[in-house]
Amino acid sequence: MIRVQSRSFAYDDGVPLLSGVTVTVEPGEYLVVAGSSGSGKTTLARLLAGAVGSDAGAVFRGSLTLDGETVHFEGGPADPRIDPAVWSASVAFVAQGAWGQLSMMSATVGEEIAFGPSNRGVPHERLRREVDDVAAALKLTELLDRDPRRLSGGQLQRTIIAAAVVQRPRVLVLDEPFQGLDAGAAADVAAAIDVLRAGGTGVVVCAPMLPRTAPEGARIIALDGGHAVFDGLLAEARWAGLRRYGIGTDGDAPRIGAARMRGAPTTAGRTLVTVDDVVVRYPSPGEPGGPGRGERRGRRRPPGPGRTPAVLDGVSLQVRAGEILAVRGSNGSGKTTLLQVLNGLRRPESGRVTVDGMPILRRPTGTLAGAVGYLFQDTDQQLFERTVLREVSYGPRAAGLRRVDALRRAADALEAVGLSAVADIHPYELAFVQRRLVALASLIAAGPSVWVLDEPTAGLDEPARTGLAALLVQHAQGGGAVVMATHDAAFSAAVAHRTLRLEAGLIQEDSPDPGS
Amino acid sequence: MPRRRILNPLTELLAAVLLVVLVLVVNRWEFSLAVLLLVVVPAVLTSGRVRQIGLAVLLIAGPLLLSSLLLHGLFFPEGRTVLLDLGPARVTREGLAFAAVMGLRMSVFTGVLLTAAMTLDVPELLATMTHRRWNRKLVFVVGSAVGLIPHVALRAQQITRAQQARGLVLGRGPVARVRALLTVTTPLVIGLLVDASERNRMLGARGFSSPGPRTSYLPDTDTPRQRAARRAMVVGVGLFSVLWLGSGVLA
Repeated sequence: MIRVQSRSFAYDDGVPLLSGVTVTVEPGEYLVVAGSSGSGKTTLARLLAGAVGSDAGAVFRGSLTLDGETVHFEGGPADPRIDPAVWSASVAFVAQGAWGQLSMMSATVGEEIAFGPSNRGVPHERLRREVDDVAAALKLTELLDRDPRRLSGGQLQRTIIAAAVVQRPRVLVLDEPFQGLDAGAAADVAAAIDVLRAGGTGVVVCAPMLPRTAPEGARIIALDGGHAVFDGLLAEARWAGLRRYGIGTDGDAPRIGAARMRGAPTTAGRTLVTVDDVVVRYPSPGEPGGPGRGERRGRRRPPGPGRTPAVLDGVSLQVRAGEILAVRGSNGSGKTTLLQVLNGLRRPESGRVTVDGMPILRRPTGTLAGAVGYLFQDTDQQLFERTVLREVSYGPRAAGLRRVDALRRAADALEAVGLSAVADIHPYELAFVQRRLVALASLIAAGPSVWVLDEPTAGLDEPARTGLAALLVQHAQGGGAVVMATHDAAFSAAVAHRTLRLEAGLIQEDSPDPGS
Repeated sequence: MPRRRILNPLTELLAAVLLVVLVLVVNRWEFSLAVLLLVVVPAVLTSGRVRQIGLAVLLIAGPLLLSSLLLHGLFFPEGRTVLLDLGPARVTREGLAFAAVMGLRMSVFTGVLLTAAMTLDVPELLATMTHRRWNRKLVFVVGSAVGLIPHVALRAQQITRAQQARGLVLGRGPVARVRALLTVTTPLVIGLLVDASERNRMLGARGFSSPGPRTSYLPDTDTPRQRAARRAMVVGVGLFSVLWLGSGVLA
């Protein structure tokens, strides 16, 4: 149905990718393109989506075939142009980074999901019906009237997938669709994809790792350094030794050596973080972060006059030096809010928070950066400087260090995450995993004792995930503490000493990790 | 409480524009004053956003009024009745009267247009334009221009939060605020440019450049009666203007 034959592809840096790679997707097929960072899987996904990149200075030599019609490219100015409107009528593409894919034309989730079909003139009644169906399948019905810009990371990701699924494409290409989704939401997305496949849609999923489960007959293409190193069934892929290409399996524990495993936390470690009976409410309408206009109209009424629902409803916890605490819970359960309370980005309505014995609620967030480091869930909201080195040295400079010292601290932090080679590059030019590591390095450079990490493993490939595990263990062993929100059960089981489960703003369970 | 919406936003917007046209055509201070007192002031008071609209009107109309007063009050060439002689500048009765007429007119313009713009239900307006089969590019330009403001504000807020998380301390004084604004500007502009190129590609991939008419997810709140009323308003104001100006020329 669709075929990409790539003789070569190069971005403006000239490094050749996808040499001699051919990918064919048949109706109803489920294809996983697996590869570590820089393997070329996103490039392949874009090619399938009809984006040959000639407008951005990339050179593609090869051909694209859709429904028996083949278009040839020689990497020159005489190459044909693909009409995105025509191509996307058959091939829907969900890129990485949900934020950049919002149309900015929609005030509600419903309008956002409807954007594609409404561009193609689907009549109003049918449009509403189709949006309702997709929203129900992806458990978005409650959110249809919310402002898409104010959703949690997982909710936004589901919205963007719903917007692609509703187009009922013949080929659906998803670049890391399960990133940041909890197990339930991932299962909903998988079920929605199954329905499409049953109707004959071919599905391509790009991912840094092999999936733990996949529909029967799922085919895997593994990429390494722009070359295909495996093409076959999932069951065969598991035994094909793909780990040497940095391709692990989703849900496997990170392979940190036994000697570097977390070990028990020093119980004598002093308390670094105390959260005592903290209550946080949604801001009221009109305030930043307040509900969208739909809520004002009353789909979700706040309880009682003037009271908005609580995001955190009396949460208490302690974290000691040397301890790694995992916070788990479904999308929208209040994990991010809890993390942001720890560095003052969110101010609770009531309760007490101390870091290293110091009450933080009345202190400006900026003064806490030396004590609490924060990794945002959406990396691209965190990076703002011109070069990687400047980005990482921002924290130390803001803390008042001399430029030379700040740059040295930054260089050390970049070395710790293995990014010394890209210090002078603009962060936006890096691949996703590297951008994530730049954000982590900028946290490390400020030298805080408490690391607060929001979904640190989302989208990481095997080497980066293992490297992260080692860094966390090392930080805890050095007397620091880590609090991380994560959907990655295997990672938290391997690394965390304790797991806290949050549901609807309440701690449901606070237990030592079974693995420890 | 925001006022209850009775009319379609397109009707509201058209009514505001036609009112401005009427004030221009009639060109008499009595009429401007009547519109100001009977239409603009009640509209602002019942808008539910009195403070914001009041502030916006003050910020835009204030400097215009002041400059008009200075210019016409002191240097009105046709001024005959001198109230105060200041050498090169003369305060004349005619100059002050002209400044008052101009000021009144400007207050009506800013009051009418800002109230309409700031209380407009933008998604509903876009939906109506789509249902009425307006050009999709035009609808997008209107939609993204209005949608960009909250987007930029949100993005700026995110960058500030990221900077705060990494050690930026926001002071309360005006100097500290200006400094904070400067540190946010460069990453904001670069980020928006990157976003824009990505979004352009994404809009293509979601069929935005498809030929043929677009449809809307939101229901059509426009009614045949309002459509007829809009046409009648345009024709009515057009006819009135021709007659009024014609009679003025003949007289």
